[in-house]
Amino acid sequence: MVDAFLFVGLPYIAIVTAVIGCVWRARTNRFSMSSRSSQFLEDRKLLWGSAPWHIGIIVVLLGHILAGVLPQVWSSILTVPGALIAIETVGVACALLAIVGLSALIYRRVTSARVQAVTTTTDLVVVALLLVQIVLGLLSAVHFRYGSAWSTGTVVPYFWGLVTFRPDMTYVADFPMLFKLHLVGAWFIILLLPFTRLMHLLAVPLQYLWRAPQLVIWNTTRRRQHAVAATIQADSRRAFLKGAAGVAGATGLMALGVSEKALNFFKGPHPDPEADSALLQKKLQRLQLTAEERSYELERQRNDMILVARYAELAENKGRYFIDYAMAPGLAFKGKDGLPLVISAKCTHLGCTVGSELDAQGRVMCPCHISYFDVQTGKPNDGAPAKLPLPQVGWALVDSTGKVVLSRKPGESMQGKVDAALLPQCSLYITKPGRGIA
Amino acid sequence: MDVRAHVSVIFHLDKCIGCHTCSVACKNVWTDRPGAEYMWWNNVETKPGTGFPTHWENQNKFNGGWKWNGNGKLEMRCQNKADAFLKLFYNPNQPNLDDYYEPFTYKYEDLFTAKAGDDQPTAIPVSLITGEPMEIKSGPNWDDDLSGSPIYAENDLNLDKLTEEERAQLFEVERLTMFYLPRICNHCANPTCVAACPSGAIYKRGEDGIVLINQEKCRGWRACVAACPYKKIYYNWKTGKSEKCILCFPRLETGQPPACFHSCVGRIRYLGVILYDADRVPDAMKVHDRALVESQRTTILDPHDPAVVAAARKNGISEEFIESAQKSPVFQYVMKWKLALPLHIEYRTMPMLFYVPPLLPVMGKSANGTYEHSADGFFTSLAESRLPIKYLASLFSAGNEQVVEAVMKKLMAVRYYKRWQSVRDMAENDVQKILREAQTTPEEVEEIYAMTAIPTQFQRYVLPPLQREEAIQSTCSPEACKGCSGFSLNPTVLGERA
Repeated sequence: MVDAFLFVGLPYIAIVTAVIGCVWRARTNRFSMSSRSSQFLEDRKLLWGSAPWHIGIIVVLLGHILAGVLPQVWSSILTVPGALIAIETVGVACALLAIVGLSALIYRRVTSARVQAVTTTTDLVVVALLLVQIVLGLLSAVHFRYGSAWSTGTVVPYFWGLVTFRPDMTYVADFPMLFKLHLVGAWFIILLLPFTRLMHLLAVPLQYLWRAPQLVIWNTTRRRQHAVAATIQADSRRAFLKGAAGVAGATGLMALGVSEKALNFFKGPHPDPEADSALLQKKLQRLQLTAEERSYELERQRNDMILVARYAELAENKGRYFIDYAMAPGLAFKGKDGLPLVISAKCTHLGCTVGSELDAQGRVMCPCHISYFDVQTGKPNDGAPAKLPLPQVGWALVDSTGKVVLSRKPGESMQGKVDAALLPQCSLYITKPGRGIA
Repeated sequence: MDVRAHVSVIFHLDKCIGCHTCSVACKNVWTDRPGAEYMWWNNVETKPGTGFPTHWENQNKFNGGWKWNGNGKLEMRCQNKADAFLKLFYNPNQPNLDDYYEPFTYKYEDLFTAKAGDDQPTAIPVSLITGEPMEIKSGPNWDDDLSGSPIYAENDLNLDKLTEEERAQLFEVERLTMFYLPRICNHCANPTCVAACPSGAIYKRGEDGIVLINQEKCRGWRACVAACPYKKIYYNWKTGKSEKCILCFPRLETGQPPACFHSCVGRIRYLGVILYDADRVPDAMKVHDRALVESQRTTILDPHDPAVVAAARKNGISEEFIESAQKSPVFQYVMKWKLALPLHIEYRTMPMLFYVPPLLPVMGKSANGTYEHSADGFFTSLAESRLPIKYLASLFSAGNEQVVEAVMKKLMAVRYYKRWQSVRDMAENDVQKILREAQTTPEEVEEIYAMTAIPTQFQRYVLPPLQREEAIQSTCSPEACKGCSGFSLNPTVLGERA
C-alpha cells in the first residue's frame, strides 16, 4: 500500500503539480522566476561551490535523462566495449564533484551572514533534499554496481509505464530500500520544482545562442500607428481567409473520419473475400511454422538425454547456458570437486534468466531485481525478492564410447564412478526428468 | 540610412558644483527600497578619484564594453555566446558588494531608549543587509572632494598615462585640483549590456533610445552588470533582478525632465533629441581609439538637412520629434559647436550622454603669480594647465589630446570674447586672434554663451512629446487602457522588435 502510494501515487501527484505549478508561476508570477544569485553578496566561496555542483549535477542528470528517454540509444552505447565502465566512472566522479560543490554551498549559506539575509526556509529544504538525493544515488551506484546497465530493464520500463498511464509497480516493488529512497527523493524534488528556486532550471536561456546582439522594441507612436492602419485591412482579410481555410480543413478532415466510420458501419463487419482469404492464408502459414517448431521441440524431448557441453568446456566461475526439457534456461558449472553442477537458470521470482558469472561467495545474480542464488544449493540470499531456490537439473556424464559413467538426479545421490583422468573425454548431458538412465 | 531618434543628454562639467542633489533626488524617487539601498543610478564622482563602484574604469578587472582587434567584428570583453553559459554558474567579471559599499543605517531608537548613565548614548551603525552592527568602511561618495588623497585620487586609472613629473605636479598641495563627474546610464547606442543579457530582458526603446530592463523577463544572471563598462547596472540582491537608470521615462512621457535634471542646482544638464543613423551602429566603432570621437559624430545626423528629415519621416518619426531635434541643445553642443564629448568612448558602446569638459582648473599661473592672459601666451597655458590635458583626454576622447584641446580653446575663447565685450582690457585684434585660433566666430561665441550661461529651462530641456496616449490608442482603446502605462500596455506590442 505504501509502495503503491510512493511509486504510483506520488509520481503522478508530483508530475501534475510540477506541470501545473510551473505554468501557473510562469504566467502569473514571472517576476519571481530568478536564479536569485547571491554572488553579489559573497563571491569567493561561491566559486568552489556553484561551479562543481552545477557541472557535476548537469552531467549526472543528462545521463539519467538519456537512459530514461532513449533507452535503446543508451543500451546501444553500452554495448561499445569499455563504455559501461567509462560511463559508471564518469557518473560516480561527477556525483562526487556535485557532492563536494553542494557541501561547499551549504557551508557558505550557513556561515555567511550576508548570504543568510537572502536565504529562505525553502532554500534550506531544497539544498538538504538535493544533498540526500545525490548521496543516495551515489550509494546506489556503488552498492548495486552497473546501474546504468540494469536500470534499462527495471527503472526505465517503470518510468515509461508511468508516462503511458500503465504504471507497473512490479518493476520497482522489490528494489532494495536504498534505491527506493532515491526514487522517492526524485519525485519529491519534481514536486517542489514550482515552489522553490529550483524552477530556475527551466529558465536556461537557450535563445541567447541565436538572438541578435542588440534588441530594440518599438512602443509608439506614428510608426506603429501607420503600420497598424496600413496592415489592419490586409491583416483582417488574411486572418479571415486563414480562419476560413482552417475551418474548412478541419471540417474536411472530420468529415473524412466520420464518413470512413459510416462506410464501415454500412458495409458490416465482413471484409471482402479476397482479403479474408489472404488473412486465412497468413494464419495458416503462421500455424504451420509453429507446428514445425513444436515438432523440433518434441523430437528433442523424445531423447532421453540432451547434450549440454563437453566436460572440457565447463568452467568453475562462468556457467554455460543450455535449454532444458521444459524449454527453460539452465546453467552448468564445473564444481569444486571437478564434477558437474547443473542448475536451472530461471529466476524463481519473475522468471528472468539469471546471470552466468559467479561472485566471490559462489552466487549468481538475477539482474532484474537483484536476487543472489547460491549455485551449490540453489538457495536465494536472505531478503532477496526470490523466495524459492533454483531447482537442480538431472545430468549424466557420458564417455567417448557413449556409455553413461556418472549421473545424478535431483535430490538423489550420485550414481556410477569415473576415473578423474578420463573426465576430459566425457560429455555432459541433462537427463529427462522421471526416467532411469539407459 | 536608418534614421532613429534618441533622447540624449549633456552634462556641462564647468557648472557642476558637486552638491549631489541629483543623486539624492534619484535615490528618493527610485532606489529607496530594500535591495536597492546601495544603488546610485545617478552618482557624482570626484575626479581624480577612484569612482563608484571603486575602480569601475578598470576593464582588466571587470571586462566591460567591447573590444576591437583592428579588423572584424566588435566582441564583448566579458563573454562570448558559448562561455556565457558557463558564466551562469559563476561570473568572474562580477563586482561584489565590497566594490560598492555595505548599505547601513543607525540605530536611532537607542538614543531615546538608552538607560540613564554617565555616557552619552550613541546610535551605532547597523548593516541594512544583515541587520548586524557593522563598521562603516565605505560609502557611495567616499572619496568626495579627496583630490590629492594617496588612497583615492592617486589611484585614478586615468592618471596612468601621465608621467611621474606630471603626477607629482598634479598632487602638489598648492596646485591641487579636482572636478566633479556626475554619471547616469549613458543609454548607449551600442550597449554591451543588451548584447550580454542571456534572457533578452534588456532592450533599447525604438522611439527614444532609452535602455530598459524588463523586470518580468530578467532572470538575474547578471551578465549585464559585468558587461556594462560604466557599471551603471546594479543587481538588486533582494529581488534577484538587475536594475538601472530609466531616464525617468514616466516623467519624460508626461512632459517633465528626469528627476536628476529637474533638481540640478548648477543647471548643468541639458536634454534633447538627436537623430542618428542606426545603420552605422556599431560599424562606426570599428576605428582606432584616436578616431572614435570623430567617428561617433559621423553617425549623428543634421536635423536641418532635408534628406535627413525626409528619411526620418519615412521611418515614422513624428513631426514633433523632428522639430525638437532641430531645437535640441544636445545637437548644438555635440555637432554644431563640438564642445561635448562622450565619456570613455574607447569602451565602444557609443554613449549618448556627452560631457562638456571642465575649463576652470585649466588656467595656469605664470611665473610672476598672475594669470597669463595675453593673446600670444594664452593658449600656451593649456600645455601647463593644472589639470593635464592628457588626463582629460583619457576620460573624454580615448587619449586624443587634440580633441580636448580644441574644446578647451573654444571654451576659453568664449570667455575672453565676453570679457573683452564688457571690460575691454584687451585689444580687439588680440581677441579676434584668439577666436581665429579657436576656430570660432563672434556669432558662435554668442550662441555658446547664451546656451551655457543664461538658458531658460525650456532651452535646456527640449522634451519631445512621447505621445503615450496616441501609442495606447493605436493598440487598444484608451478607455480600456485607462491607468496603464509602462510595459503592461499590450503583449503584442512588447513582442515586436525591429
